[in-house]
Amino acid sequence: MADDPAACAACGHKLRPGAGFCSSCGRRIGDTAADAADAMAAPRVADPDSRFTQNRDALYRAGLLFALLLLSFLVLGWVARFDRSPWPEVICDGADALIVLGFAIRCRAAILPLLRLPRASAGEALQLGLIAAAFVGVLLVYFAVLECLGLPIVSATGDLTRAGWGLGPILLLVSVSPAIIEELALRGVIQSSLDEVFGWRDAWIIQAAMFSVLHLSPLMFPSHFAMGLCFGYLRHRTKSLYPGMALHAGWNALIVLQEMYG
Amino acid sequence: MRYRWDVDDKTVVAVTTGAFSKVEVEIDGAKVESALKLQRTSSQNFPLSGGRTAEIKVTPVVMGAPTIELRVDGQLMVPTGSEPITCPSCGAVTPPNDRFCAACGQAMPAPETYMLAKRTREATVAIWTLAVLFAIFGVIMFFVTKSQTADVLDKLAAADPNYSQTIDGTVYTVREVRDQLAWAPWNVLMVNAILSVVMVGLAIWSRRAPLAAIVIAAATYATVQVANAIIDPTTIAQGIIVKIIVIAALLRGIQSALKQRSASSAAAAANG
Repeated sequence: MADDPAACAACGHKLRPGAGFCSSCGRRIGDTAADAADAMAAPRVADPDSRFTQNRDALYRAGLLFALLLLSFLVLGWVARFDRSPWPEVICDGADALIVLGFAIRCRAAILPLLRLPRASAGEALQLGLIAAAFVGVLLVYFAVLECLGLPIVSATGDLTRAGWGLGPILLLVSVSPAIIEELALRGVIQSSLDEVFGWRDAWIIQAAMFSVLHLSPLMFPSHFAMGLCFGYLRHRTKSLYPGMALHAGWNALIVLQEMYG
Repeated sequence: MRYRWDVDDKTVVAVTTGAFSKVEVEIDGAKVESALKLQRTSSQNFPLSGGRTAEIKVTPVVMGAPTIELRVDGQLMVPTGSEPITCPSCGAVTPPNDRFCAACGQAMPAPETYMLAKRTREATVAIWTLAVLFAIFGVIMFFVTKSQTADVLDKLAAADPNYSQTIDGTVYTVREVRDQLAWAPWNVLMVNAILSVVMVGLAIWSRRAPLAAIVIAAATYATVQVANAIIDPTTIAQGIIVKIIVIAALLRGIQSALKQRSASSAAAAANG
């Protein structure tokens, strides 16, 4: 049966002159009515609402953890105005650890696989080692430039050494503890949650940006953004949090040793 | 503000919002009686040619322009914008309310998508606004800080540079205090310049990845406010109206961009 060129054979919608398809049902002009019936018989099903809910929950989870960590920095900053001893920082770290542990348990399905030892061939390990070495080199240059320019850099150990703390406790508080807590929070819970919404590349960039702004110093944005990218990349390549934790702890330990003995 | 819907080749509906929450409705160029108000959620039906019914719904939005929707026989209509709508597959210019492209048969985005895109664009405008505000604030505070530190530097000029004083457990020499005061205005300028550049980068990136850019902008802005609150709690109240407007626009942008993303990934999965 030939189509009336003025109306679509499937839905009866008035066709535009020169159109190749019906703008109401999408049927190709010139298809028979049987073809149109077949095409109309298979409705396409999509469920954007449930996907939105899923994405929203993942984003909410990442945002809530970020907000709680930011809140703990706010509280620490306020308390530090009156009490320069290291104990507020210790208490805040403890609170952060509990918060992050709670979120990690909530997202254990995504976190537990990241707590396995990484499996990498010798070639891959060498490649990642070179990336880590390049990263450390770039950061050393960046901070050396800041120091040359006379820009103020917050000391990581000043208050602790003034309080009489030794190297061991300082390394525990400044090197080991932040490496574990921040890697679990940023590269664990947050990057995994963002992965569900954005895919790995955008999630990688966003978690690095969150990591940099969480340190509350615009002068540190570039360096900490680079750190976030490096640790996030290690997590992505090795499917494990341990390489990032090790590099993070190592870098913080280097800063401690430089400040105390440099 | 004026909103226009080209329902079909012959039917045009227009809504104009003015002062005192007035909402004027025109159908095919003729004004019609309207009981719609901007300050509360309201809707009204109007008859169209061909026995159709148009429903106009006004929904106020906190700290933002109200949402005005037109439905004809229950179907949401796409407002006619300043730029023509093009098919995402072949690029052919397509009338606003076509469900399929007449040139290639590709399904056009749902009308809701265009409404969401508007909210996402508003969030991008908020990011550009932040970029400009940070730049202006940085320049202003550079000169303010410089004038504030000038008096103290003059007084310290004659002091012994090696004289030291313990403040809050830290020993400072006059030389160190002078250096910090001399750097203070440049520090303020650099910090705000960095933030402005970050916001410009995010605004440009939002064309390709709106949701990611808006999320980072919101996180950065929230962090800056927290940092300022730590340094000086009285800054929380400064510019509070602008802060609320910006945060509201960013949060709405996140919600809209998330809905857009969810709809397109669901459609992609359905189309196989």
